Amino acid sequence: MPISTPASAESVAPVARKRRRNFLRPGGYPALPIAILMITLIIPALFSQWLAPYGPEATNLRARLQPPVFFGGDWSHPFGTDRLGRDILSRTMHGAWYALSISVVGIFVGVVIGSSLGLIAGYFRGWWDTIIMRLVDISLALPAMLLALALAALSGPSFQSVIIVVAFVLWAYFARQVRAEVLGLRERDFVARAVVAGSSHLAILRRHILPNVVNTIVVLATLQVGIVITLEASLSFLGIGIPRPIPTWGLMVADGRQLLTSAWWVSFFPGLAILLTVLSVNLFGDWLREKIDPKSRRV
Amino acid sequence: MQRFFLVKLVESAIALWVITLIVFGLTHFSGNPVGALLPDDASPEQVAFLINKLGLDQPIHIQYLRFLGNAVQGDFGLSMKWPGQSAMDVVLSRLPATLTLGGMAMLISVVIAIPLGVASATRKGTIVDSFAQGIALIGQSMPSFWLGIILIWVFAVGLGMFPTSGSGTWAHLVLPAISIAWFQISALTRLTRSAMLEVLDAEYVKLARAKGVSEPIIVWKHALRNAAVVPLTYFGVLAGSVLTGSVVIETVFSWPGLGWTAIEAIKARDFPVVQSVVIVFAVIFILANLLVDLLYAYIDPRIR
Amino acid sequence: MPNIRSVARRTMMACAVSSIVGTAAFAQNVVVAIDPGSAESNLYWETIGGLIPPNMQSLVGNDPETGVYDASGLAESWEHDEDFTRWTFHLKPGAVFSGDWGPVTAEDVVHSVALHTGDDSRLSGIQSLRAATVTADGDHTVHFDLPNPDPDFLFLHAGRAVLVVYSKAQYDAEGLEGYARNPAGSGPFTFVSRDLGNTLKYDVAKDHWSGSSPRYDSLELRFVGEPATRLAMLLAGEADIVSLPRELQPEAEAQGHQTISSAQASVQTAFVLSGLFMDPEGPGAEMGLPWQDVRIREAMNRALDREALIDVLYEGRAEPLVVFSMDPRFDGHVPELARRFEAEYGHDPDRARELLAEADYPGAFANPVIPIAATALGGSPEFGLMAELVQAMFADAGLQTEIREMDWPTLQNARLGFTADFAHPMRNAPVRPNGIGVLASYTEQLSPAYSIGSRELDGMGDRLIETKDLEERAALIRDMFTYVFDNYAHMPIATISAEVVANPQRVAGWTFPGSSSSGFSHFELIETAD
Repeated sequence: MPISTPASAESVAPVARKRRRNFLRPGGYPALPIAILMITLIIPALFSQWLAPYGPEATNLRARLQPPVFFGGDWSHPFGTDRLGRDILSRTMHGAWYALSISVVGIFVGVVIGSSLGLIAGYFRGWWDTIIMRLVDISLALPAMLLALALAALSGPSFQSVIIVVAFVLWAYFARQVRAEVLGLRERDFVARAVVAGSSHLAILRRHILPNVVNTIVVLATLQVGIVITLEASLSFLGIGIPRPIPTWGLMVADGRQLLTSAWWVSFFPGLAILLTVLSVNLFGDWLREKIDPKSRRV
Repeated sequence: MQRFFLVKLVESAIALWVITLIVFGLTHFSGNPVGALLPDDASPEQVAFLINKLGLDQPIHIQYLRFLGNAVQGDFGLSMKWPGQSAMDVVLSRLPATLTLGGMAMLISVVIAIPLGVASATRKGTIVDSFAQGIALIGQSMPSFWLGIILIWVFAVGLGMFPTSGSGTWAHLVLPAISIAWFQISALTRLTRSAMLEVLDAEYVKLARAKGVSEPIIVWKHALRNAAVVPLTYFGVLAGSVLTGSVVIETVFSWPGLGWTAIEAIKARDFPVVQSVVIVFAVIFILANLLVDLLYAYIDPRIR
Repeated sequence: MPNIRSVARRTMMACAVSSIVGTAAFAQNVVVAIDPGSAESNLYWETIGGLIPPNMQSLVGNDPETGVYDASGLAESWEHDEDFTRWTFHLKPGAVFSGDWGPVTAEDVVHSVALHTGDDSRLSGIQSLRAATVTADGDHTVHFDLPNPDPDFLFLHAGRAVLVVYSKAQYDAEGLEGYARNPAGSGPFTFVSRDLGNTLKYDVAKDHWSGSSPRYDSLELRFVGEPATRLAMLLAGEADIVSLPRELQPEAEAQGHQTISSAQASVQTAFVLSGLFMDPEGPGAEMGLPWQDVRIREAMNRALDREALIDVLYEGRAEPLVVFSMDPRFDGHVPELARRFEAEYGHDPDRARELLAEADYPGAFANPVIPIAATALGGSPEFGLMAELVQAMFADAGLQTEIREMDWPTLQNARLGFTADFAHPMRNAPVRPNGIGVLASYTEQLSPAYSIGSRELDGMGDRLIETKDLEERAALIRDMFTYVFDNYAHMPIATISAEVVANPQRVAGWTFPGSSSSGFSHFELIETAD
């Protein structure tokens, strides 16, 4: 279970200066990851209602487990169909919306909670810090999968329960990162000057601390997308993800896993969508970090 | 130092107490075990007996106090899914399997990720770098159960190199360990890479270069020794994620470890076992972090 | 009921003939991979009894071909009094426990009944045994005195297996701990080890008292929850026999493996409704469940394309079911209902829409949405898919639906607490005698949680319990099934056999009747390929 990410320590490490431009970065921005993201995630997420050839839940029992085009199938179902004859292309496209919304909402909730607490802990220190950091420890010591299972047993799996699990996995991590940054900023001259000048805590937090950590938060948040999407898939595997027949990629892969040898396409295309999305989000996140992380700029 | 140790100890104890609250609450609000443990045609007497035996007919705070009192003594009651066994025994008997699997996974990730990270740092921007990063990223981009099943098909069914599932021999360990390790490899590779990049720029490395020390010695001896600190400090977190990662992988591979036990216990609403798993996990995690804190304090007295 | 004793005799002769066997040339271990059960213990009464431990025996067995009660268990014969309240079993005099714990006697049976009916018993169907007074009459005769007539008492011992016989001698010497460590049984296998959640190992009993022994050396039951992993085990040669969801079977067959079906129908599946919906004052009325209206129930049934369901869920290998819990092999079957089925239950979305319009659906309903529980249940891997399919078919007919994903314990708790407000997949496994099935599936008598809340039906159930006359009972059961059918009380789907897939290089065949809860039994009849 992805509790942590490489970014956690890497964000502290300085990153390269003059990167040679390679095929990924023709114009200074990562063209390929962005293009892939647009194709696999953003465009289908926003426009699948109009672009997808079928409804995501439209079954056709006469066309069950049709192979994809070029593998014995035809253009009526370019990615083939699943056990209920649902069009995999359409489902994968609709799945993008759920991937995007789970990521955005889940990360947003986790980030807001985690960063706020991290800000408080790092800025006020003392008891605040002790209590919040103990909460962080407690949260890390609780296996998130078990929380997810308990939640699912409690109220049935739902979009909300998935969001809660995502937020639970992320908040402690953000609290830690933001606290560490704020602890450093707190010692800087401009904060000291603001304190001397008599600014209120709120004003200092708003004017001096937050703007300096927001970049880190954005970069780290970007890098969580992959973790959230694979987490959702694992939840679906355990039967505690977003309930069927909603076409999340995770559920599609989990449902198709048994047919891996007989109807590989059922899990392959949503799996590929996960792979490409996570890959490109991570590449994009790396690029973003180099671009706006204050620490990398310092180098 | 003693005071520091004491404070840390008290903090850990409080954390553990909060965890018992959470675990108790979660298990008890997740429905009662009657539906899981009794047949569809369970008679009212069967239901009543089970409820009474588990103390579920008591007020919730009494249940909690009773639970806490026993828990302090390491007694979480009898397992319900595995009748006749104490819950703690079930969990402790599963712990070695998970530790073996987790240990193997960490070993694999270190053996692969450190050289990969170093290679990718020393050849930054080359094909090697892109390849290493690609491998690393793929590990993070695939749902672990999918990776596990693909590994089973390729290496167990297709090539017949390893058993598909179960436990017993070292060969059984390989595929599940790789499935867990791959995700860690991504993390470690990227960490090692960035740490190495930093260290390779340091003055003493430049000095060593100027002195004409050979490049491999600079990289593997001087630089890595210093760079290794970063991934090592990351190990505590890594160990934690290995344990939780095992929940899914142990299910795929029928590996009889803690993760598998946890899933089965939750499905059966076997509260004592669920509680034991979480508490054991939390104790391990907290102890590990306590140890890390103490080590830091020992190395760097300013922290005290 | 056919003449049981003559069947018993025939089977014993068959056993005697088949006992002349050659010895295998090399040690042969048979590995069977199946779904894990809900609880695991060497103390059988602490499980719900899905799988009879291969080293243990109950009093009555099932014929492997016909599934009819036979003397393959510990009793060589049995009789009952006129009103079915006293059942007497005569134990086989030669039966002995493994591990030198001596002969199987009536005392062992009495002792085992006491253990099985204790407070901690989780066995399915234990109520009837609890109500019985059990007395030993000499070494080899046991009487069961029942408060109510029970013509289906043999089912409790055979398919339902509420009682397996443990050794009292072992208990006196070692207590329950001895049972937990190494339970002595009288079956054709001896216990070797249990690795919780993983493996159960048995050796074949050498020179078994019955004179017949399996033709292999050891049996290993592996519990593997993930079907894809079980398939991989079969294909990699790690397991000889595996249970697979039907959709994975073609994959195994394509690789040369062979599907083996139980000789008889093993499971009935249906879509059932909750909320005591026929009771105008029941919880269903409070929750405003749409299926309290019979027109909605008929529309739901009309919406189902059972042919397609059977195709998708069972690869076409299933018999359509007419009434859930009704089986042609037992008394009380109503053949006429099968003839009426097409006209009254046949797939007809237009008729469904008409009915809905007639009932002013959804306008006249406060709560028109039909929640469908999608659930996974060990041994019924198709239930999740069934829920999705049924949802699609309901939607086609104009019914509003909503899928609720939940695990079986959650569903079961909702049913037990009468808070369930959904339709869900259900199974009847093993297929029970009609008299038991009709009570358990529809009335408040055996499983109140699954009652449909009809006073009329409950009244018939009360009479059924007291009736001794077989003819009268059969008539009552027929009336009850007809009532259920006429009221569209459930959505019957299919009757299926239990199936496994075997590696033909290791296993030549296996005859099992499909009469136990898990569907599997008679492991001694696995024929290995030499």
